[in-house]
Amino acid sequence: MISGEDNELVARVVASQDTRAFGELIRRHQSHVRNFLRKLSGDMSAADDLAQDCFMRAWDKLHTYSGSGSFIGWLLKIAYTTFLQSKRKSRRYAEILEQVGHVSEAESRTHAAPVDEVTDLDKFLAVLSEEERAIMVMSYACGLSHREISQATAMPVGSVKSVIFRGKEKIRTSFDIKDHQHG
Amino acid sequence: MTSKIINMAERMKDEQDRLLESMFELAPIADDGFSEQIVRRVRRKLWVRRITLPVAVVLGLVVASRPMAALVSGVYELLLSMPGDLVPSLEGSLPSLQLIVTGALVLGVAMLSLSMLED
Repeated sequence: MISGEDNELVARVVASQDTRAFGELIRRHQSHVRNFLRKLSGDMSAADDLAQDCFMRAWDKLHTYSGSGSFIGWLLKIAYTTFLQSKRKSRRYAEILEQVGHVSEAESRTHAAPVDEVTDLDKFLAVLSEEERAIMVMSYACGLSHREISQATAMPVGSVKSVIFRGKEKIRTSFDIKDHQHG
Repeated sequence: MTSKIINMAERMKDEQDRLLESMFELAPIADDGFSEQIVRRVRRKLWVRRITLPVAVVLGLVVASRPMAALVSGVYELLLSMPGDLVPSLEGSLPSLQLIVTGALVLGVAMLSLSMLED
């Protein structure tokens, strides 16, 4: 275990390509990144693959981290971009396969895969759009501030706030949640 | 009265946020070798990056050695065919073709070794 703040570890990685310091950064933040991607994609193994890709990208781009925001905010920005890109890619392949008259592999795998345990949170997230889901998870599960979410999603702070408001309303109306009850 | 309403609204908002936070609370995921796997990938990537350039240079030298030797021998012959009064002491001072090629290869390998040692 290596001690030190995230920024110190980042500096060590950038200065001397210290893989041990990078390993410590991963150990500290892997849970948030994996949870975020799992809730976003709804597929545990695909989310873990995306998390790996996310950390590999983080390694390549670490020199661009300015240290102004939190490191987890910066990581979640990469995770979100990785998720969106992978989704675009799989959609493109699905379209190509549809054109040639095949069911996409991803699609068939989704149908064949055993369904993971559906939690209350999964039900809440199901009523949200993809963007709302990402922002709500960043805000309430990962504890990011509105400003950090704004940086991670490249949206103005005002839009982030309105997405959160909309998401809350959707959850409340869909599940008839009062102040102290849910489910 | 108005401030009371605002305070109540703020408080309600906070309660709602706390409720959402508890709803969104996610159990931490155990590392279980996840970070080690990525670090291994990163180390492999670094190793590949380090080895790619020297290997490419060696391959390039191997591929280029024949045309390079032909070029050197061409230049050498050209110099020899020049009139004697233009290059009076050329024949004695020029190193042999083999020496030139060997020298170039030794220089290349030495530079490669140095760059690898630096890495």
